[in-house]
Amino acid sequence: MTRSIRPFRGLPPLLFALLAALFLSGCATSGATYADLQAKLPPPPPGDGRIFIYRSTVAGAAVQPSVKLNDAVIGSAVPRGFFYLDRPAGDYTISTETEVKRSLSLTLAPGQVRYVRIGIAFGFFVGHVYPELVEDAEAQSDIAGCHLTGS
Amino acid sequence: MSGCAFDVSYVTRVPTTFEPAAPNGPNWVLQQPQSIGVGSGFPTRLRQGTHWQRAGTIPQGDVFRTGDQIVTVEASNTFEAMVVLRDNTLVGFYLPVEHSFVAATEPVKLPIQQGAQP
Repeated sequence: MTRSIRPFRGLPPLLFALLAALFLSGCATSGATYADLQAKLPPPPPGDGRIFIYRSTVAGAAVQPSVKLNDAVIGSAVPRGFFYLDRPAGDYTISTETEVKRSLSLTLAPGQVRYVRIGIAFGFFVGHVYPELVEDAEAQSDIAGCHLTGS
Repeated sequence: MSGCAFDVSYVTRVPTTFEPAAPNGPNWVLQQPQSIGVGSGFPTRLRQGTHWQRAGTIPQGDVFRTGDQIVTVEASNTFEAMVVLRDNTLVGFYLPVEHSFVAATEPVKLPIQQGAQP
């Protein structure tokens, strides 16, 4: 006889539904996924490159800081979410901030596509959220199930 | 962020001047994987078989880039980087966004094959 593991066994259904809603409300669950959109996206305009920014895990879902490009807010780090932007070729700095600021500097060439993953690490009071540059192949697998949260 | 208590890992950046090289300059292939420290506790790893092309020069040496892997210098913050060689020895990294040089903790003689075609 097999036994399934039911960690919420005994929890009143209404309370379970409330907890589930609270958990999922912090994640991107609507909007097209990267896998759905990837082939439909037009290439960046001539002279521009494209930067995808995504957060593939739900760890620390309550922490969703703004993401900045050269100190201008461009979106939020939503768990299981992604967004992208086309920008002229050049030098850029992507940063996030909770109790501490973390940044990533990168170059962008015309037609180039870059993938930036937002990770989370333990902090003193809240998690530290940091951007990291990811290889194309790894990123395309990592981001596939993430939902578009804005562009 | 300077002076922030959470910036526990940092690298010393020296401003430098980059002179771009003409296309089709010297190139080489890395014959063995390498790990190069910059004093931050997060070494930069270079993969075996990666092909490198000269991008330019700085006073500290010749600057090479690759399209075969992402190269970053990592501390509390992360910087995209290119490698800097002098006499086939990796002496540090050039940070193109910051226009600065980060020295390797210990220069490393690289096992490279010169003039390899991509």
